[in-house]
Amino acid sequence: MLITGLGVISAAGINLAETLVSFEGRKRNAGPVSLFETPLRYPVFEVREIPRRFYLEGQRTLSLALCAVDEALEGAHLKDELSNFRVGVCMGTTVASQLNDIEFYKSYRTTGTASMVAVDRYVKGNLAQFVSRKIRATGPSLTVVNACSSGTDAIGVAFSWLNNGLCDIAIAGGADELNRIPLCGFGSLGIVSSDLCKPFDRGRKGLNLGEGAGVLVIETKDSAQKRRRTSDFYLVGYGSASDAYHLTAPRPDGAGLESSINKALTESGIKPHEVSFVNAHGTGTLENDLVEGMVLGKVFGADLKVLSTKGFTGHALGAAGGLEAVFTVAGLREGWIPVSIGFEHKDETIPVVPVRKRTYINGHHAVSTSLAFGGNNAALVFRRDLR
Amino acid sequence: MMNVLGIGILFTRGSGVACFEKALNDGWQEPAGEADANLKDKISPAYQVVLETVTGRALLKKMRRSDKLSKMAVLAASDALRSSAIENMNKKRLGIIVATAFGPQVTTFKFLDEILDYGEANVSPIIFSNSVHNAPAAYVSSALDIQGPTLTVTQFYFSFQYALQLAQAWINEGRCDYILVGAVDQYGDVLKYVHDCKLTPAPDNRIRPFNFNPTYHVPGEGAVFILVGKGNSKNAFCKVENVWIGEHPECKAPADIDIIDTDGMLADESAYFSSISPDIPVAAYSPLFGSMMVGSAFNCAAGVLMLKNQVCYANPVRDNPHGIKLLNNAGSINIELVRCIRYNCQGEKAAIYLKKK
Repeated sequence: MLITGLGVISAAGINLAETLVSFEGRKRNAGPVSLFETPLRYPVFEVREIPRRFYLEGQRTLSLALCAVDEALEGAHLKDELSNFRVGVCMGTTVASQLNDIEFYKSYRTTGTASMVAVDRYVKGNLAQFVSRKIRATGPSLTVVNACSSGTDAIGVAFSWLNNGLCDIAIAGGADELNRIPLCGFGSLGIVSSDLCKPFDRGRKGLNLGEGAGVLVIETKDSAQKRRRTSDFYLVGYGSASDAYHLTAPRPDGAGLESSINKALTESGIKPHEVSFVNAHGTGTLENDLVEGMVLGKVFGADLKVLSTKGFTGHALGAAGGLEAVFTVAGLREGWIPVSIGFEHKDETIPVVPVRKRTYINGHHAVSTSLAFGGNNAALVFRRDLR
Repeated sequence: MMNVLGIGILFTRGSGVACFEKALNDGWQEPAGEADANLKDKISPAYQVVLETVTGRALLKKMRRSDKLSKMAVLAASDALRSSAIENMNKKRLGIIVATAFGPQVTTFKFLDEILDYGEANVSPIIFSNSVHNAPAAYVSSALDIQGPTLTVTQFYFSFQYALQLAQAWINEGRCDYILVGAVDQYGDVLKYVHDCKLTPAPDNRIRPFNFNPTYHVPGEGAVFILVGKGNSKNAFCKVENVWIGEHPECKAPADIDIIDTDGMLADESAYFSSISPDIPVAAYSPLFGSMMVGSAFNCAAGVLMLKNQVCYANPVRDNPHGIKLLNNAGSINIELVRCIRYNCQGEKAAIYLKKK
């Protein structure tokens, strides 16, 4: 399936061009929480300013999604052509799926009554449905709520829709805002770092939360031909597998992740040595990075070029897979990947070593991986055809 | 086309296919009243699941820390596998797709209680973990050792239809041999408050599925899992011929029986009336399990059992102000095709076509 549009917004930039500048300049736009009052003193990666035309009061996740969708549609030259095609929308999220407005709930539990404004926003704010209606798409719309692999799985679902003729074009990815609930929750699990995160580093102390949205426009060859569009970039494989192990911890032997990567590679028809780099989940937690690093070493070998972009964006939860899919395609397009920022010292228990500097890429294939709460593992394979 | 190979169901009257068939045969019953925590002098009737009375709870030992939503999902999923009687299933080739409208909202509010009562730095990690939307699917995976793709989806009105459609796509692509497609939602006091603000409670605790406008609801909760797969057609309950969502001419293809999802969750359900043919008998079973966004899965399960058993189940509530052709007599019947119809608040339609194997 052709990839004809990319859109991102995160702390690293409000579009892909700005993000690449941050990557090149090794900018880490982290700071204390400014979006809400909290006693928790963890650094976070907030989007400092959502462009005004996308801003929706009280619906930050949707605002972020709209911004990324707009860039992706613009890049795909689709804005004026949407009505001619069956366009599906599949988006991953965590925060937008929950009715977790604390003021609403506080009022309800104190007085037995509460304004329905938060409820109306929630009901009208199902991420994929909202995006679909906003752009007047006529294909399927579905929100994936698979925790931290939501964005990757949403792209995988869109891939299946296209493979099965359920739509001609799909807008797929993820979006999530920085929110008090996951901040408290991840804090309670003891996996949030009070310093900037250091994915795969031996001194890593946990993750930093972030926010954003990452979106791909994916379409069939037929659809692109009808639109007289072309692209050198393809989504060629998706794999998903469950750990069947634990609600929050990854399976120690990494069997689920390994299986998801192998499925994606098999679907792509390529061997591990044909993968030029992997954009890893790499959250900076002790367990995730250990298991993921071990599996990447086992599947691809110790010489693999690997990075985590979470040092630039923080962990944007349901958006992470969408953001990282865009960054992976961008790496193939630009011919380079950024430094795996935050990584300095090799962990001897992890066989792979993330890139320590901006690194040139010549290959045709790249992989993006996601691991999630609940034991979900997902992998995507992207290809570049060199003309 | 895929086969329905097993059904697991957990609802207000118990668990299992036999229990659901009994309810379909016995007809309507008054919902149990439950004392409202905030309005202590009032009674709030709802079709709630009482887990303590459900059989097969040994499985729950593995998940003592989970919430009711996850427990309901695991019990129904396990039941679906058991009912299929498929031996030596490769669990790496078995997928899970869970559809939910509200997810673990009861646990989410419990987590908000933690924040409000103890402060942001002193919340429970266990409650947080269980409040994540995919917790039920994760518990199904770990409790039943299922290692295939595991996905949770939400789309208020058509979650179950999209889950079933995706299962068909995964099977076509060879991603799985079998898939447990589930629907689960839980009732709670905040949802009750929202329902009371937005919808009209049934004055006599009776959902009237053929009223269309005005509509009355009685909340429900529960879980349904349907095991689908390409093979094992010999033991199949029936086939899923197709799932149509949105404006497709195929949505209008006639069936032998139409099952409609009217349950008072829309203030105006007239769209259903306009889709009904005067010649095709219509059924709606929401009065048995209650009003809920994922109620389609329960109606779909009823359709599956009709096709398997070649019997029809009479409508549990038969008020018929519009004089439509209702399925009012239970008994043996030759049925080839059942259409399960759902509308959303925008008047968009989805149809699941179930076919005799």
